Amino acid sequence: MTTKSLHLTVNGEVYDAFVSENATLLTFLRDVLGLTGTKEGCGAGECGACTVILNGLPVNSCMVLALECEGAEVRTIESEYQNGELSNLQQAFIEYNAFQCGFCTPGMIMSARALLEANPHPSRDDIREAMEGNLCRCTGYDSIIAAIESVGVSAS
Amino acid sequence: MPAYLHPTTLAEAFESLGEGTETRYLAGGTDLIVQLRDGFIAPDALMDVKALPELQGIKTTEEALEIGAAASCGQLLASEHVGYGCTVLKQAASTLANSLLRNRATLIGNLCNASPGADMAPASLVLQGVLTTVSPGGGRTIELRDFFTGVKKHVLEPNELVTKISFPLTKGRGIYLKKRRIHGHDLAQVGVAGFHDTDGSFRLALGAVATTPLLLDDFGRLSTTELASQREEIVAEAVGAAKPISDIRASKEYRLAMVRLFTERIVDAFANETEVQR
Ligand SMILES: Cc1cc2nc3c(=O)[nH]c(=O)nc-3n(C[C@H](O)[C@H](O)[C@H](O)COP(=O)(O)OP(=O)(O)OC[C@H]3O[C@@H](n4cnc5c(N)ncnc54)[C@H](O)[C@@H]3O)c2cc1C
Ligand code: FES
Ligand code: FES
Repeated sequence: MTTKSLHLTVNGEVYDAFVSENATLLTFLRDVLGLTGTKEGCGAGECGACTVILNGLPVNSCMVLALECEGAEVRTIESEYQNGELSNLQQAFIEYNAFQCGFCTPGMIMSARALLEANPHPSRDDIREAMEGNLCRCTGYDSIIAAIESVGVSAS
Repeated sequence: MPAYLHPTTLAEAFESLGEGTETRYLAGGTDLIVQLRDGFIAPDALMDVKALPELQGIKTTEEALEIGAAASCGQLLASEHVGYGCTVLKQAASTLANSLLRNRATLIGNLCNASPGADMAPASLVLQGVLTTVSPGGGRTIELRDFFTGVKKHVLEPNELVTKISFPLTKGRGIYLKKRRIHGHDLAQVGVAGFHDTDGSFRLALGAVATTPLLLDDFGRLSTTELASQREEIVAEAVGAAKPISDIRASKEYRLAMVRLFTERIVDAFANETEVQR
């Protein structure tokens, strides 16, 4: 199998790795770096379980080849928990019961994080639009939207 | 397993095209990676063209809006260059998939994939888009109206690379209406774009109702009063041009009904100079 070198930053750490030419960013994160917080639902751009932040923008990591990320900066769900503390979004998801099985949650939180960075006080419509690519089969979405809204409202 | 190529100049790109091998250009990858994954295509190489300087950016010149082949739909939606009549491109891009995919998916990739239901096609057709291409042997311009030849088929030669699409600047008004089953997760069941230019030219384009996107532009110049009085003829021409099939997304009858409804709404909005009913 042909591999090529890849240099990138993930959650602030610099990595130099060799990856297979057809590896997606998702498989690279999970299987090479062991960052298994990012989930694979459909593997085809449909569900958003694999959402990560690539150079500041939320993307489906199953739809990006690892080698396309040369020199890139990637953030995954593992970046949310810092210094032994859950992030504001993680806390809000718990407070609002915004998950049941939790499979969609890493992707939901990364989409929401990218939204809040671009727009710290999003309206419900902004939230709905930004979360359109993230499917949840358990919650019915209302609690997820409320959780994200609560973080936006409390942001200074 | 295809090799991954990532040239940074056109010369390098064309040099690395192997003799007798199939290379696919990779833009956002949102069509290509699914097709690879599902085994529909098995090229020898994928050439990531997003770093080529000739494909970058969205800009306006004196005559045209130019959108580079590396520009994503997300960049298009955020661009202040996409204004006036060309905002119909934003209406279409905002219906394409969802915000995650739009950060990768390009307008040119949408056209080059040549799906009959491609959302950017009707809007690009009514705006009279012109593609610029380069090939190892030279380059050319192709009017988008001459581009599509069938389902997933177009006039590009193997290894011909689209660098940009240009739209003549216009202050007219455009509308794109899309019918889909699930917001954020569905291709068009029907897409209709309409454009009414400041000189009265009126054009319609239909998506997902034939083997290619269709442009209807033989209506001539029509005032708002003429649009109102010729509403039924215009609707009949649109419905007559549509040759839909029934598939998992919609029946043929439903598609024809939606072409009628959307055309009526677009003509009414132009004739009465009102907001379109969405
Ligand atoms: C979940 C999901 C939902 C989707 N929803 C929609 C939707 O609502 N509406 C819609 O229209 N589409 C939709 N799509 C399809 C896809 O996202 C779009 O067609 C997108 O615009 C393709 O652009 P891309 O840059 O990702 O193309 P790529 O996948 O990179 O390329 C597509 C094709 O064009 C060729 N190509 C790309 N760039 C060039 C170039 N510069 N010169 C020559 N050939 C080139 C490639 O070789 C390939 O054959 C969806 C896809 C997914 C996975
Ligand atoms: S796993 Fe990537 S979108 Fe579903
Ligand atoms: S919590 Fe189960 S899919 Fe969302």
